[in-house]
Amino acid sequence: MNFLFEGFFQAINLLLSGNAETFSAIWSTVRVSSYSIGCSLFIGIPLGFCLGYFDFSGKKPLRTIVDTMMALPTVFIGLLVYAFLTRRGPLGDFGLLFTLPGIAIGQTILALPIVIGLSATAVESMDQKLRITIMSLGANRRQLFLSSLWECRHGILAGAIAAYGRVMTEVGISMMVGGNIKWHTRTITTAIALETNKGQFGMGVALGLVLLAIAFGVNVSVSFLRRRY
Amino acid sequence: MDFPIYEISSLKHSYAGKTVLSIEHLTVQPASIVGLIGPNGSGKSTLLKLLGLIERPTRGKIRFNGRLVEPFSDEARFLITLLPQEPFLMKRSVFNNVSYGLKLRGNGKDIVDRVNEALSLVGLPGKDFIRRPWYALSGGEAQRVALAARLALNPKVLLLDEPTASVDAASAQLIKEASLRARQELGTTLIVASHDWQWLYEICDEILHLFKGRIFGTGRETIIFGPWQKLGTEKWGKILSDNQQLCVPAPPDQAAAAVIDVLSVREDGSTLAGDDIVLRGTVSRLSLEKKTGHLFATILVGDLPFTVRLTSQQNREHTIFPGKTISIRYRLDQIKWI
Repeated sequence: MNFLFEGFFQAINLLLSGNAETFSAIWSTVRVSSYSIGCSLFIGIPLGFCLGYFDFSGKKPLRTIVDTMMALPTVFIGLLVYAFLTRRGPLGDFGLLFTLPGIAIGQTILALPIVIGLSATAVESMDQKLRITIMSLGANRRQLFLSSLWECRHGILAGAIAAYGRVMTEVGISMMVGGNIKWHTRTITTAIALETNKGQFGMGVALGLVLLAIAFGVNVSVSFLRRRY
Repeated sequence: MDFPIYEISSLKHSYAGKTVLSIEHLTVQPASIVGLIGPNGSGKSTLLKLLGLIERPTRGKIRFNGRLVEPFSDEARFLITLLPQEPFLMKRSVFNNVSYGLKLRGNGKDIVDRVNEALSLVGLPGKDFIRRPWYALSGGEAQRVALAARLALNPKVLLLDEPTASVDAASAQLIKEASLRARQELGTTLIVASHDWQWLYEICDEILHLFKGRIFGTGRETIIFGPWQKLGTEKWGKILSDNQQLCVPAPPDQAAAAVIDVLSVREDGSTLAGDDIVLRGTVSRLSLEKKTGHLFATILVGDLPFTVRLTSQQNREHTIFPGKTISIRYRLDQIKWI
């Protein structure tokens, strides 16, 4: 059990001493997860709203597909994205393999079904009287959309946090698409996997605690925003 | 040329293929108060949603001030507003709820004054309520805030769906007063669905009775719902809780409703011959119809309420008052089935 305590103190030491390798992994993690969560929210919230709000033929099968994709294995996404981004793949010319944007593409695919599915659930659970209220107060179609979206903000935010948690903690995509290149595409999770393989449990625990601290920071910020708005 | 504020023609509305409202023709005059009465599921809320242009009718046309209108038209957005049955507030402060419609209209200048004014109309002091979040209000307060949000818009038409159904007596009184003030001060047309018949008969210029999605009379009719039972070889009817027999002709089906036209009231309980039926009951309520000045008595026969229009002569003769036992007379051959 000593390595856990060692890891805790090592984590504080690494952070306070400004360890370049650690901060490189943290910076890569924050960058890549920000790209992917930004893209998935931008695409996923409108799609989730439409899926939850409108009734159309094929809605139920579509919902089942989205819900199934929420459980997509990260290594499978990593494999697919690798196949597309490799030199021989259809997107090989963009040179995205073993880059942070490459990882971000994979993580966007990972987060998108979660954002769509949980946004749709939030919209579906929205009170039907909200539409009548907004319309009867004079909203046009765009205002109805935006106000409805704002009213189910807490549910959508919960979906965004769940997606962010999944993106931050995944290893498969980062490892396969990013290649775990030191100073370049090494993220916290791939670094933990590497350090554990090397028997450096302390370092692994230290990086795990950093990951936990980031997650804690995000949740505290979101809780503050929820109370504020 | 003066148009009615609403003109409805050949309107039909369905949910999942089932027709829930069917109105051949209906007009509503500007600045009038129209009451909608009828049992649950009779189509009152649906009619209000259609008049509020929240939904598009399955078939038929709605004209507003002579113009064909539909959801999201300028008339729908800026002149008509609907207060739904249950209080519903957006997840915002009281100020943001009441000012929402004003902001949509671009009335940003004197917004605080207008919000305060609307809140005071419904008896909520602005300084105590304006900053409160939506979850810190009681049911009655939420309903009054919702009404304030509509009154702040100075609407041409205010549609109220059971505005006092889920609030206490004090809140109900404030809601009634605020709605009437809108009519008096702004010439707002009020269309109110309510089970509070007495209130409606006091304030309304016109009352529409909805039954199974159709407009049926003025609500002063006595409607008795099935199921019916055979009371003898040829007699049909119901055994009432006080063991009297309510007789009707053979119903078209078990679920049919009988419309009984009470012909007269009398103090003695003698049974008359032929098609005349006499039942004894107790006067439970007296109400005055604003438009005609007629007095109406609700008489409980067993558990069933019968409504009787009293002439001034009848009232003088019988001195009817709540609690008095009285007989009512109707004729079998004048019963209609719906």
